[in-house]
Amino acid sequence: MKYKDYYALLGVDRRASQDDIKKAYRRLARKYHPDVSKEPDAEERFKEVAEAYETLKDPEKRAAYDQLGSHQPGQDFRPPPDWETRFSPGGFEDIDLADLFAHFGARPGRGFSGRAGADFAIAGEDYEVEARLSLEDAARGTELALQLAVPEMGPDGVRRRMPKTVRVRVPKGATEGERLRIAGKGGPGVNGGRAGDLYLDIHLEPHPLFRVSGHDLYLELPLAPWEAVLGTQVEIPTLDGRIELSVKPGAKAGQKLRVPGRGLPRPRGTSGDLYCVLSIATPPEPGEREKSLYRELAAASHFDPRRHLKKGEPA
Amino acid sequence: MSDDAILEFLDEATEIAMDELLAASGLARAELIDLIELGVFDLRPGARAADQASWRFSSRAIILGRRAARLRDDFGLNAPGMALALAYLERIEALELRLRELECQLLR
Repeated sequence: MKYKDYYALLGVDRRASQDDIKKAYRRLARKYHPDVSKEPDAEERFKEVAEAYETLKDPEKRAAYDQLGSHQPGQDFRPPPDWETRFSPGGFEDIDLADLFAHFGARPGRGFSGRAGADFAIAGEDYEVEARLSLEDAARGTELALQLAVPEMGPDGVRRRMPKTVRVRVPKGATEGERLRIAGKGGPGVNGGRAGDLYLDIHLEPHPLFRVSGHDLYLELPLAPWEAVLGTQVEIPTLDGRIELSVKPGAKAGQKLRVPGRGLPRPRGTSGDLYCVLSIATPPEPGEREKSLYRELAAASHFDPRRHLKKGEPA
Repeated sequence: MSDDAILEFLDEATEIAMDELLAASGLARAELIDLIELGVFDLRPGARAADQASWRFSSRAIILGRRAARLRDDFGLNAPGMALALAYLERIEALELRLRELECQLLR
């Protein structure tokens, strides 16, 4: 069994009082709780902190944990010999410390193996998995193979976490932040308890061209200065092929052109829109002829783009 | 792949019964009723107040309910505490959506 240093995870001394342990947990929970934290590894950190607190908050579990002695985190160790007979006749080789303590003390003398059998129904574990989809996969729908670590009862009646692949089909219409569920695809229930559910949190990979807001897509569309002035026909990419778009004369940077129905499909039929956000691009290295035409234009035009800045200025 | 399970969206369009919301969220019945009274969950139209079997919710309520139960378990919050935290989290999410929409309109 791999050792985890629960005291170090909570940042407390081994002799810390129950109250100090609680305070340390509360402080770390506020910092790393996945519902409130934006720290990049919040979820992982919170799981560790919660696991440590789950054991240390209970004086009986804490005493049992202390019996294990102090080891390096991740180091393989053997629990005291009487533990094997009490909790896990099949040995501790591939058992997670958290699973061991989860059932510890709940049913005295029966350990956590469940072999003696709890006599009430327990619902299976729910799983919440993050899925990263490309924009194209989200638009079309896609199949995913999810890797879960599901607790299973071995032939010796001991619970171990086994890798399990669950294949799921994500229907078209998902977007960033969407949550989906498959009922009954989580961990198995015990004694007739219902199976747990599988939840999927959808995240979209950044796309080289499109930005996503809900089911709307945004595309930056650069125009040459003369295209902006005179208007033009341009060909633009969409998720399902290129289309022609006409830009009216007098286009301005930042203006949005809406192309209805060319965004991401929604789950029930309709689709979001595609917005082209106009920008004005200038030639990086204009030739001599181009420059001279611009000079001619500058001399011929009465257009003053900064007229509104001059209002109210002393004459 | 015929054995592929199809995921369902948790959204406003799908309706679920109270028992399903309780089972999926891990909230106790009394907690859920408190949270409904505090305005966290909306009953779908057609519910009779005295008859809990007639209460229906959107399946999106499962996301809220699970979050409420996590806040209860991990921070020791009671129903008013859960309601307050959920309200703030929802406001943050709405602001993040608006921020994302505006970022989409920025020129690179």
